[in-house]
Amino acid sequence: MRLAFVLSEIGSGLRRNLAMVISVILVTFVSLTFVGAAGMLQLQINQMKGYWYDKVQVAIFLCSDGSTAPGCATGPATPEQEDSLRKLLQSPAVAQYVNDFEYESKDDAYKHFKEQFSNSPIVDSVTPDQLPASFRINMKDPEKYEIISETFSSQAGVETVIDQRQLLERLFSAMNAASLVAVSIAGVMIICAILLIATTIRLSAFSRRRETGIMRLVGASKMVIQLPFILEGVIAAVIGAALASGTLWAVAHFFLGEVMSKQYPDTAFISPGQTLILAPALIGLGVVLAGISSLLTLRRYLRV
Amino acid sequence: MIRFENVTKVYDQKARPALDSISLEIDRGEFAFLVGASGSGKSTFLRLVLKEDRASSGAVYVAGQNVANISSWRVPRLRRGIGVVFQDFRLLPQKTVFANVAFAMQVIGKSRSVIRDTVPEVLKTVGLEGKENRLPHELSGGEQQRVAIARAVVNRPGILLADEPTGNLDPTTSMGIMGVLDKINQNGTTVVMATHDDDIVNEMRKRVVELKNGVVIRDEAKALYTSMIPVVGQSRRLRDASGRDEPPVVPPRAGTRAEARAEIRLAGEGQA
Repeated sequence: MRLAFVLSEIGSGLRRNLAMVISVILVTFVSLTFVGAAGMLQLQINQMKGYWYDKVQVAIFLCSDGSTAPGCATGPATPEQEDSLRKLLQSPAVAQYVNDFEYESKDDAYKHFKEQFSNSPIVDSVTPDQLPASFRINMKDPEKYEIISETFSSQAGVETVIDQRQLLERLFSAMNAASLVAVSIAGVMIICAILLIATTIRLSAFSRRRETGIMRLVGASKMVIQLPFILEGVIAAVIGAALASGTLWAVAHFFLGEVMSKQYPDTAFISPGQTLILAPALIGLGVVLAGISSLLTLRRYLRV
Repeated sequence: MIRFENVTKVYDQKARPALDSISLEIDRGEFAFLVGASGSGKSTFLRLVLKEDRASSGAVYVAGQNVANISSWRVPRLRRGIGVVFQDFRLLPQKTVFANVAFAMQVIGKSRSVIRDTVPEVLKTVGLEGKENRLPHELSGGEQQRVAIARAVVNRPGILLADEPTGNLDPTTSMGIMGVLDKINQNGTTVVMATHDDDIVNEMRKRVVELKNGVVIRDEAKALYTSMIPVVGQSRRLRDASGRDEPPVVPPRAGTRAEARAEIRLAGEGQA
């Protein structure tokens, strides 16, 4: 009975305040879309970092079947060549710059590749043979990359030495800047949303002050009086958050999935499914927003 | 049922207190009028009983419980034991008579079947049989006040507070309302009614508590209104009379009624 009563109160509140409720939905929608966009950029950065990025700085790729580098004239790197490279890495001249290194076989490389490019059609056309084996080196000082590069580039069986960080760092810093901008806009929009929800609840409380006054007099509990107002804000915010989640999914599906991944097939993009892990966070954030603003408002305008 | 012990209520430190060290007891099942000019502290008295305000000093007991010791989340329970009626009815305009009364039961979580049984019964008590489906604007003022009374007593409170319930009604209708309140009182509910209506007080011959400037200046059983209409020079005489504990002598005058009405209007404006 009480639940039915609260629900009917919510219904009438939403109807009476339709214009305000729609504006709350739109403002939370826009602000949470920006929050989500920042989250998506971070997800994308993680995706591009792949398996090795946080662990090592420099990769020494060994020759494989299709290698065209001058050092690979003799075909794929032999086990002997691999052993000599390993010895060289362990020799005092090199070891003083190296924290640690790992060998990635062709099969390992294929496994990691599959993980990183799981959302891309390219994964079906690649076989382990096409991927080079490599030594992945964790440098004591990443700036000393040149030393490793000079030492190993000319060795037999080495296709190329790459400082992965340098390649990606620029891109990542741009993306980080973009997510910072998105977060700042989101911050402003969230303030808007909180104030707007507070105003909406205040208007709603004002338009129903007769009812709430009578409810107080006949001894309705605080929960019965205030819950409809709180839930009105929460419902509007959750709808906004759901719209934002839908928008992010659509961006991942149509923009990244259909357009970008065809233009840049060698880049690992996040899948639409991955954006959905942002949805609970956004909805939670919407609920928290509505909760904060209703707490602030009800304490002042709807005392019991 | 209601006991005030040296209760003082100060709204503004610079002004005189709204209630000044009042001690008063109203027993279970009693019917008491609270009379006095506007600003004498009648409404403050009622607000303190409802715990709408907190006494500045002294203790207010309602049904044996000191309201100062009731935590804020238990205040609703206190208010369920008290029905309130106002001068301006305060009905919900878009709800029918039945729904207005049922509202008071819905919000405290009574089941639908209990509501279906109780509401018609209460409407019968206040004399509104057959008008369940009318909207408030389709009713006369007296009928609207009956709906408000029905709403106030539908949860069977032990106390009914009425703040000038006949202030908007003509004398005949007022007497009808008093009949309803009397009936409710006979069923065991304590009734406290703040009023300016001398005819009614004189007719009912119940206990009269007279307030002036926040002080009880008279508390008599089966009393008359004893014209509290302010006349130039009279106020001092009354204070002297109360100081000496002598009943004030007031000659019957014509035109009192009109003056009382004028004062009620002013009071209404003050509240709005």
